[in-house]
Amino acid sequence: MYDKIFPPSKISLPNGKTVHEKRSRTPIVLVLVLLATIVSVRFTNFDLEVLFTRWKEFFVIIGEMIPPKWDYLDHIWKPLMDTIKMSLLGSMVGSLAAIPAAYLASSNVMSKPVAAWSKFILSILRTLPTLVTALIATFIFGLGTLAGTVAIFLFTIAYVGKLLYEQIENADMGSFEAMEAGGMTKMQAFRYAIFPQVLPNYLSTSLFCFEGNVRYAAILGYVGAGGIGLLLNEGLGWRDYASVGMILLMLIITVYIIEKISEHFRKKLI
Amino acid sequence: MIEFINVGKTYPNNVKALDNINLKMEKGEFVAIIGMSGAGKSTLIRCINRMHDITEGEIVVDGVKVSSLKGKEIRTFRRRIGMIFQSFHLVTRSSVLKNVLVSFVPELPFWRKVTGIFSKEQKVKALTALDKVGILDKAYVRVDQLSGGQQQRVALARTLAQNPDIILADEPIASLDPVTARQVMDDFTTINRETDMSIIINIHHVEMALEYADRIIGVREGKIVYDGRAAEVTQEVLDYIYKGQTNDSEPMNKGEKRYV
Repeated sequence: MYDKIFPPSKISLPNGKTVHEKRSRTPIVLVLVLLATIVSVRFTNFDLEVLFTRWKEFFVIIGEMIPPKWDYLDHIWKPLMDTIKMSLLGSMVGSLAAIPAAYLASSNVMSKPVAAWSKFILSILRTLPTLVTALIATFIFGLGTLAGTVAIFLFTIAYVGKLLYEQIENADMGSFEAMEAGGMTKMQAFRYAIFPQVLPNYLSTSLFCFEGNVRYAAILGYVGAGGIGLLLNEGLGWRDYASVGMILLMLIITVYIIEKISEHFRKKLI
Repeated sequence: MIEFINVGKTYPNNVKALDNINLKMEKGEFVAIIGMSGAGKSTLIRCINRMHDITEGEIVVDGVKVSSLKGKEIRTFRRRIGMIFQSFHLVTRSSVLKNVLVSFVPELPFWRKVTGIFSKEQKVKALTALDKVGILDKAYVRVDQLSGGQQQRVALARTLAQNPDIILADEPIASLDPVTARQVMDDFTTINRETDMSIIINIHHVEMALEYADRIIGVREGKIVYDGRAAEVTQEVLDYIYKGQTNDSEPMNKGEKRYV
């Protein structure tokens, strides 16, 4: 189609042979991207004027965060540790629970209907925003860290479970077949043929999920599910930006440290 | 003893893989099954340990009717039959020893099955199996660091550790170079002589089959077209197995396709 509107250019070699070179698609892609940008600016009421007159306000708030209120640290410690504990426990238990979930969802070791249903449930679980899960969990388990842990646990199952069943489905089934031929059940063959293949990636995924969960856990306090989010919400509400600055600083440091540690181990795994 | 009585197998897509097979293989025999790709060799072998189900007839292995077995019975039955594959089918990320130890898994208590911690006695057994195929020194090497021939020997050791009565080998040397292929075939011969295990092997290399096996079974289009001593196989017989020119008069019935 495109080649008919813009016919390919001809290149002739000295010996008379010709080669057709197709016209580049880049210009039309650029035009489309530009159009899409214009349309989305209309829809979102994006206003360049506001951006120009108000952008300094950004730095007003950041300016108020500096210097952070250092002695606020005493208040931060406990919720911060709560946040880490929530995400650590939720991630660990969730990752473990993801193994049977992924097993059930893998169509190469499970019957097709069971696998399809398990995949469906996992995808629903993944679609629910963690914040919503946490809110629901507070209704069931009451306000506090337990609700947050449950929310993180559920998200971890869905996330690690999904990546794990994809790994399992892509695993080499040769050794699985050999073990079945040697008189093992499907479960045993899975444990000894497929599990060793997916283990490094599984651990890496779990660590990566834990990294992300620390960040998620930081805002779960907004719906009363414990952790540092509670303080963050409070500080912003009172416009106590110096305290918020302190909280953010501690969060950045914590997340950075955890990411570095996790990255180090993930590199060793693969 | 393995006995095929009027065995037939039709795949769900109406492809007839085996057609009225009657066979008897005695304990301790070294049988090679030859024939074109798609003649039904693989299906024939895989029906013996119920990796495939048959649709007609009966296979009897040492008095056990194979098609009537269920669930746990199948697994117990398979313990007595070792299987070797063309592409080795090992866990390449694990060590050689771990791959061999796997054959003890069905006998382990639950906690050992889960943790994968094996007893010293089992380790000795597995190492002995590795010694038999001459790769004891590779016990703690990861499988993906071994050559193809060595990998096939690991697979052989895994089967030996199971201490089966029968070894089924599905194209065991098809992905090996001629020299290593010969070494692996020598291993089969040694095992066959020393332990009296029956060996049934699918093979493309006709010269190897004639050299190593006692008995040759020729398969074409799901039927047995030759069954006799390896020494008696002539060029004419091979032509018959592979091309089917000589007095080939079987009618193609019911429009069923005949291969796989």
